[in-house]
Amino acid sequence: MDLEDFELIYKENRVKIKDKTKIESKLKTIVGLNNYSTKKIDILAYTKDSTLIGFNWEIEGKIAGIADFITWPETIEQISEILKLANQEKIPVIPYGEGSGVVGGAIPIYGGIIIDMKKFNKVITINDKNLTVTAEAGINGMNLERYLNTNGYTSGHIPQSLYTSSLGGWIAHRAAGQFSTKYGKIEDIVLGMEVVLPQGEIINFKTIARASTGPQLDKLFIGGEGTLGIVTKATLKIWPSPEKRALISYAFPTIENSFNAVREILREQIYPAVVRIYDKSETARHFPDIDNAKDKVMVIFICEGNSRLVDLEESITREKCEKNTGIECGEHPVEHWLETRFRVTETSSMPPYKIVFDTIEVASLWDNAADVYHRVLESMNQIKGVLMTTAHVSHFYPNGVGIYFSFGGVPPKGNSDLKFYQECWDTTIKAVLEAGGSIAHHHGIGLNRSHWMDNEWGNAMNTLRQIKKVLDPNNILNPGKIYIDTWKRSEI
Amino acid sequence: MGIEETLNKYKWMVPLLQKADRETRSTLMKNFRQRKKNFFPEGEFKADVDNLIKCMLCPNMCRFDCGTLQATLTETMSPAYKARIGYYLTIGKIDYADSEFVDLMYKCTNEETCKVWCPFDFSVVSLLETVRDDINAKGFMPDFCKEQIEKLKNSNTIEGYNIFETYKEKGIENIETKGKDDVFYYIGCESMKFPEVIKANIEILKTAGIKFSTNLDKKICCGGPAFNIRDMETAIEFANKNKELIESTGAKIIISDCPGCILTLKERYEKAGVKIEKEIIHTTQYFMKLINEERIKITKSIPEEYRKITIHDPCLISRNLNDTESIRNILGKIQGLELVEPIYNNENTHCCGWSGTAHWADRDLAIKQAQNRVNELKETGVNIFISACPLCELGLAYGLKETEKEKYNILDISEILIKVL
Repeated sequence: MDLEDFELIYKENRVKIKDKTKIESKLKTIVGLNNYSTKKIDILAYTKDSTLIGFNWEIEGKIAGIADFITWPETIEQISEILKLANQEKIPVIPYGEGSGVVGGAIPIYGGIIIDMKKFNKVITINDKNLTVTAEAGINGMNLERYLNTNGYTSGHIPQSLYTSSLGGWIAHRAAGQFSTKYGKIEDIVLGMEVVLPQGEIINFKTIARASTGPQLDKLFIGGEGTLGIVTKATLKIWPSPEKRALISYAFPTIENSFNAVREILREQIYPAVVRIYDKSETARHFPDIDNAKDKVMVIFICEGNSRLVDLEESITREKCEKNTGIECGEHPVEHWLETRFRVTETSSMPPYKIVFDTIEVASLWDNAADVYHRVLESMNQIKGVLMTTAHVSHFYPNGVGIYFSFGGVPPKGNSDLKFYQECWDTTIKAVLEAGGSIAHHHGIGLNRSHWMDNEWGNAMNTLRQIKKVLDPNNILNPGKIYIDTWKRSEI
Repeated sequence: MGIEETLNKYKWMVPLLQKADRETRSTLMKNFRQRKKNFFPEGEFKADVDNLIKCMLCPNMCRFDCGTLQATLTETMSPAYKARIGYYLTIGKIDYADSEFVDLMYKCTNEETCKVWCPFDFSVVSLLETVRDDINAKGFMPDFCKEQIEKLKNSNTIEGYNIFETYKEKGIENIETKGKDDVFYYIGCESMKFPEVIKANIEILKTAGIKFSTNLDKKICCGGPAFNIRDMETAIEFANKNKELIESTGAKIIISDCPGCILTLKERYEKAGVKIEKEIIHTTQYFMKLINEERIKITKSIPEEYRKITIHDPCLISRNLNDTESIRNILGKIQGLELVEPIYNNENTHCCGWSGTAHWADRDLAIKQAQNRVNELKETGVNIFISACPLCELGLAYGLKETEKEKYNILDISEILIKVL
């Protein structure tokens, strides 16, 4: 078998490596023989992340991108040396955590060296007084959370990808978890970091609750998507395991009613850990057995923490829901969500029928949230081949929301799956921008959204590009993402 | 899922499909009709293609608990990737002659932690076994598997020599059946490496006054390794010989100190068409029963040096026999004994590295997995590891460094129980 037997999707801009033997020898010296590979079986394993179109390619025997070398460094110095070598030789370096990204962020589209971070998997310390945990960035999310739970804590960061993502991946993609309305997003949770810059310099942001020491440079690496540095270690906030949990659900006649209820709850500074609004289609999909929710918008809440506070949160949550015409649906819908939230079957069930399926999460302020929702649905329904577009809203702030669209369809005759997929993505993003929203809430930019960055950022994008150039003058760190139109924008 | 449940689950799609234009609906219907034509191989195959596809297209929801992945810390060892390679081998995208890919189909233990988290409720090893069927049928069984089959055929055990014949030199008493036993104590090949465990088990059975036999002069391997490798001809040959031996004892209850033997005698034989109509249980389960019936009594206090222990739950007892209670109930009856649970315990236990085919396919991988498990046990701060499986006791010993072997003591539950009777 030759890897050339697999059709390569991202063929352009691959970096030609002149003296592969020399690079091999140097990489072996840096990381050791056991932490290096160019075997076909390893190269093939790193040709994908969890971008959903990638699963369609996988069953068809296609690969998204292909690296030349795989490394598994064990020390921060080894990472630094790899980056120095990559700069000398002008070879791309792609940091790889658990491969759960859904926008192509870890796909080696230009080839080069994969730095797999899995060997950075240790919990270093828990500090009960400060309520912090320090861990290496390659640690799997569930393994970190299980360790914390065993010791009586939680990080409160529980994304749907918990089982299949890493701490470094969360930071790189500026992630958000399902319990984020109470515990915050990853940028609220990280208190300190160790980072290797693109040219190999190692820097530290010391752990501190808050400081007034100039600009928040550390925030540059939260959401940097492995293009500005490689995070190797981080200190996070933790919390004692909650004493009490209240499970609440209400069904509303319209999405607007549900928005009003949640907005009014947050105005009271009540922060349920989980708030999830399902539009009518998703309510029918996830809660077919709940009679009170037929043809309605289901909202589920989990309030957790100190029992007296939970009682108060529950009472105000119910009051606001009922004021906004919510009908009580009991604990069962929340229990059902808790039971099924990690049972991901869509990626497995759609590709065998050549259905192109994906999710796109976006953000908006409260005053245009409903407009973003309706515009995206209307625009997507115009696309030939789209069978469904639905949404749920899963992240909330006193000032706005994160909306999570799902779409599925089959490419019309003459259209490739990628072209159809890109049309769906671009249509959604365009509608979001027109309604005044923001193009990504918590999955990041990667390949799928990089060509919209100028629209999103305006001329501030020039500043970001300049920062990238200063830190990574040879553009070796995760190229093809964020700063460049890897996807040529489809005509919509 | 029943028809009614399925219809209810997918009811939400009906209005969406009704809204779709004719061409889209027609394309979708065509895709449904042609799924097998598009993605299944032609000709005869045994691989479970349907579920291999489901597994390979999953975003690896079980990856965090996969022992071989956590041992190697490489994407190559991820469960979904193994399924992907299994699928590519089956459809001919990768040639069976490409041994590095074929070998991957064996780098999986029988721990089945994946099953705990799988949205489809299957275990990856059960899928890989179906790929192994085709590998064997096409004549590409790896050499490390052929070696095991040769050993079985030449010596009737997995050791390359008949390990049961060593009972005299190890001081193990053999009790031959006269055809009217209550119990057949079915000793595993690997258990023969732990004569003190066998002696303790025999002593406990004698203390309880059980009429039992061990039949070591006639004893052979259960055939488990052949089932793992999927050499079904050899496996069935061992199943028939064992059935004959078991039935010759007249015993109604078969007890074994090896959970792997129990899995093979109970489940794998039946699936292969050789059913043994007996109660087949683990020694731990049987001893618990004897304690409950007061046929053995805990009379002594535990010696000081054994007061603090931790448990390594064998995968096959906790997840296959679904019994995490027997071992704890026995220990709970021992006054003064302090049990410190490791972080991963009961049904969430981690594998010792020595189950299934992984330790033949990649010994370093198995040793690393054993080291990971030993580290979890060491984190309890306890020096005595209690288990109930000879393979686990073997694997855990590989996980200890030479310099640590004096400090840590790996014992079978029977070795503790015998001290307090």
